Amino acid sequence: MQQRIRIRWTKRGRVRYVSARDLSSIWERALRRADLPIAYSEGFTPHAKVSFPDALPVGYDSTGEYAELTFAAPIVADRDLARLSRALPEGMDILTYFEVPDGAPKLARMLRATMWELVWPAVDAAELTDRLTARGRALLAADHIEVIRHRPDGDRTIDVRPAVLTLAAATRRAAPGPGGGEHTVLRAVLRNDGPTVRPNDLLSALGGDGGCTPAAGAPREVDIAAPTRINRVAQGEVDDGGLREALTGEVEALVPDVDAEAA
Amino acid sequence: MLGSAPPTSAPATPARGARGGYRRPGTRAQLPPSYYEALEPLLGTVKKPAQYVGGEHNQQEADWTAADSRWLLCYPDTYEVGQPNQGIQILYEVLNRRPATLAERLYAPWVDLEERMRERDIPAFSLEGHRPAWAFDVIGVTLPHELGHTNLLNLLDLGRIPIHAAERTEEDPIVLVGGHAAYNPEPLAPFIDAAVMGDGEEVALEVDDVVAAHKREREAGGDVDRHTLLRRLAQVEGVYIPSFYAPRYTDDGRLKATVPIEAGVPPRVPKRTVQDLEQWPFPQKQIVPMTETVHERFSVEIFRGCTRGCRFCQAGMITRPVRERKPETIQRLVEEGVKDTGFGEVGLLSLSSADHSGIGKVARDLADEYEGTVTSLSLPSTRVDAFNVTLSNELSRNGRRTGLTFAPEAGSDRMRAVINKMVSEQDLLRTTEVAFSEGWRHVKLYFMIGLPTEREEDVLAIAELGIKTYELARKHGKGNKVTISVGGFVPKPHTPFQWAAQDSPEEIKRKLALIRQTIKDHRGLKLRTNDPEEGVIEGLLARGDRRVAPAVERAWRLGARFDGWHEMPTLDTWRRALAETGVDLDWFSHRERDEREALPWDHLDSGLEKDWLWEDWQDALSEKELDDCRWSPCYDCGVCPGLSIQHDTGYDGGMQLPVVPSGLGGNEQLPVTPERYASGA
Repeated sequence: MQQRIRIRWTKRGRVRYVSARDLSSIWERALRRADLPIAYSEGFTPHAKVSFPDALPVGYDSTGEYAELTFAAPIVADRDLARLSRALPEGMDILTYFEVPDGAPKLARMLRATMWELVWPAVDAAELTDRLTARGRALLAADHIEVIRHRPDGDRTIDVRPAVLTLAAATRRAAPGPGGGEHTVLRAVLRNDGPTVRPNDLLSALGGDGGCTPAAGAPREVDIAAPTRINRVAQGEVDDGGLREALTGEVEALVPDVDAEAA
Repeated sequence: MLGSAPPTSAPATPARGARGGYRRPGTRAQLPPSYYEALEPLLGTVKKPAQYVGGEHNQQEADWTAADSRWLLCYPDTYEVGQPNQGIQILYEVLNRRPATLAERLYAPWVDLEERMRERDIPAFSLEGHRPAWAFDVIGVTLPHELGHTNLLNLLDLGRIPIHAAERTEEDPIVLVGGHAAYNPEPLAPFIDAAVMGDGEEVALEVDDVVAAHKREREAGGDVDRHTLLRRLAQVEGVYIPSFYAPRYTDDGRLKATVPIEAGVPPRVPKRTVQDLEQWPFPQKQIVPMTETVHERFSVEIFRGCTRGCRFCQAGMITRPVRERKPETIQRLVEEGVKDTGFGEVGLLSLSSADHSGIGKVARDLADEYEGTVTSLSLPSTRVDAFNVTLSNELSRNGRRTGLTFAPEAGSDRMRAVINKMVSEQDLLRTTEVAFSEGWRHVKLYFMIGLPTEREEDVLAIAELGIKTYELARKHGKGNKVTISVGGFVPKPHTPFQWAAQDSPEEIKRKLALIRQTIKDHRGLKLRTNDPEEGVIEGLLARGDRRVAPAVERAWRLGARFDGWHEMPTLDTWRRALAETGVDLDWFSHRERDEREALPWDHLDSGLEKDWLWEDWQDALSEKELDDCRWSPCYDCGVCPGLSIQHDTGYDGGMQLPVVPSGLGGNEQLPVTPERYASGA
C-alpha cells in the first residue's frame, strides 16, 4: 500500500548553491542511503517519486521548502524521516511532516502564499528600515506598481502589486551573518497563485536593486542596495499576523519577535 | 544608496617568508584562514556555484592541527570533469585514513570565478576547508592527459605558489604529479618538484612518510632544507625529481640522453606496480557529488592493466601486468558502496572490462542482486565479439537495450594488423548482427585516423564498414541507428607508436572529408568527429622535451586554460606561444623518429623494454600481429621478468583465461629496484 507524506524542509548553508535540477538526485540518493521504500515511476528511466512544488533560486536560503514523497510501503514516519533527515546533506533538514489522507487537496493548493525575508547588513539599519516601511505603505496603498524584468528571451513588464498580500520592515538585532549589530529585515507575503512575482521584483518595486527597471508607479531611482540574504521563510496561507504555515497551521509573524531572536 | 554591504576583503595572503608557521606539524601549526566567507558573495555571480562549496557525502574534513602532513589533491580541470576521477579518490581515502595525515581536494575554477578570485585576491582553495593552496605540504596533481598542463600552472599561480620549482623554498609545498601524462613530465620539468610513475597507492604513503619525517626533523631543529627533502624523495622508488637530471642534446638538436646530475639518484626511474589489488580495495567511501558531474556512479576497478597489446594505447602499455580483483571482492565493494552512497548506477571499470577472467560470474551475480531494482549496471567494454553482447544483455536486464559500442579502431583488416587490434571485418559484422538481432537499437563504432602507414583506402574502409553495419542495422529494424565516431590519432610515449609522425590537422580534416563524402547518401548513418585541432597541443605535450616547457608557460601567460574545452579555443594562443619561444611543432610532432634518437622519457622506466617496443613498431610496419600474453606465450615485453608472475589461472571455473592472479598463491613479491637493475632487466 502506498503512503504519501508531505514534508517541510530547509535549504541553508552550503547547499544553498545547489540548483533545483540537482535536487532530485540528491533526494533519491539520500532515500537510498536511508534505505526507505520510496516508490519509483514506471518506464525505462525510473525516478523516485519525490515532487517539489516549485524551484528556489540558487543562492537563496530557505526554511520553507516542501516536498511530497510517495512510498511503496508504509514507513514509520517519525523514526524514518529522522533517518532521512540525517542522510541528507548538511543544511537540508526535515522540519515537519504530514501524512496525506485520501482526497486531500494537492500540495500546491495548500501553498497559496510564501513569506519571504530579505536581510541587509548592519550599516544604516534604522534609516533603511524607515525607508522600506514608507515605501511598503505606499506600495500597499497603490493599485498597480510595475517593473520591467530583463531576461535573455526578452523584457517583460510585471505588475508587482497584486501579488503582495502584506509586508513589513523591522530592525533586528543579532540577525544571522557575520558582524552582528542591527540588521534591516523586510518580510513580505507574496501570492503563489497568479503570475510569479519574486522577491527581486518586489525589491525593484520598492526602489531597491532587484535587477528590474522601474515602470509605472515604482520609484524611479534605485537607492536601496541588494540584500545580503534572501530567505524563503515558509509557505501556506496569508494570516492577520503573517503566514499560516501549511503543514502545522502555526503562524509565522510578519514582524519577528525581536526579543526571542536576540535570546 | 542605503543598505550597501561594507566593503569586505579576503584574508591577506602572508608574504613569502612568513608562511612557514602554517606548515608546522600538528598543534604547532598556525591555522590558515578559510576563504569561504570571501568566496560566498561571488558564488551568486558564477556558473554552477555548487562545484565550489564542498560538503558532499563522504567528504573528509580533518582538523589542520591534528595532522603532521597535509596534502592538496588536485585535478587540473573542473569539478564536473575531475570529481569522478578514481585516482584522486583512492589517494584521498588512503591518505585520510592515516591519523596524522590530512588530504583535501582542489579542482580548477572555471574562468568566471578565476577572474573574480583574482580581483579579490582570493587564492586557490581546498574544497573541504576552503584553505589556501600555499599552506599545504604536498600539491598532488593527477595528469590523466596533457591538456591540463596550463591549468596546473594556473592553479599554482592562483594558489600563490611560485610556478618555477627553482624559486620554491622550504615554506612552499612540494608539487608532485602522477597519472598517465606523468610518464613524460619533461614539458613540465621546470614547474614540478617531483613526478611519480605508476600505481599511486603505496608510493603516496611512502612519500607521506618522508614528508612527515622531514617536517618533524626540521621541527626538532634538524639542519634539513628543501634540497634534503627532494634528495630523500628521490630515494623513494618510483619518484622522479626532474631537477636532479639534465638533458644532453646533439648538435642537430636531437636528444642524446637525460642523465642524473645529482649523486645517488637512479639513472632510470622505475614505475611502481601494486602487486595485489586485493590489499587496496579503494575507493570505498566514494564522494557523492551534489551537482552534475560526467560520471555519477559507484565505480569499482575490476582489474588494472591490459595486455591486448593495441599499439596506439598508452594506458594498455604502461599499466601492465594485468591484476584482477576477485569476483567476491567486487561483489562486496559494489553492495557496500551502493548502500553507503545511494548511487543508482554501478560502473565496473577497467581498460577492457569484458576481459576479466570471471566477468561472466560477476555480471550474473550482480544482475541477480539488482534484478527488479532501479540500480543499473554499466561495464565499459568496446570489445568486438558476441560475448560482449551477451554480457551487455545480462547487465541490461533492468533497462532498455539502447546503445552498444564497439571499437574496431581502424577500417581495414590491414590497418587493424598494424595497430594490433585483432578483429576481422567478418567478426565485426557478425557481432553487430548479433547485437541487432537481440534487440539493440543503436551501435556506435569507434575509429581513429592518422594511424601509421595509413592510406586513402584505409580511411575509406571506415566509411564502408559503417555503411555495411548500417545495412545490417536496417535489416533488423527501420529505426535502428549506427554512429561512427572518428578521432585523430595522437602518438604517446611508452608505446610502439612513440616513434611515429602525427598527422597534421589539415591532413586529418582531409581524411574526415573523405569519410563524410562517402557516407553522405546514407541518412541514419551518423558521423561524429572531434575537432582535428584538438590533437595538436596534446601531441606536442605528449612527446615534447624540456625545451617545450617555455612554450607551456608562455601559452599560459597569454591566457591559455582548459585546452581540452571547445568553449576555450586556445590553439591560436598556443601557436603564438610556440612562435615566441621558438618551439617547432613540425619537429616535435610531425616527424618520424629513428631508432638511435633518445626519447625524452628514456630515463623513465614503464617496465617495457625499448628494444621490444622498437621490435613491435617494426612488426606494426610489416603488419604483423601479436597475441595477448594472457592467452599465448610470453613475448618478453619486459614488464614481468624478475617479477615472478605466473601467467595462469583465472577465478571463474567457467572461463579459464590465463591471467595474472592477485593474491592467489605463487611468489608475488616485486623485486626491489636494485635487484631489477642488477639482473639487467
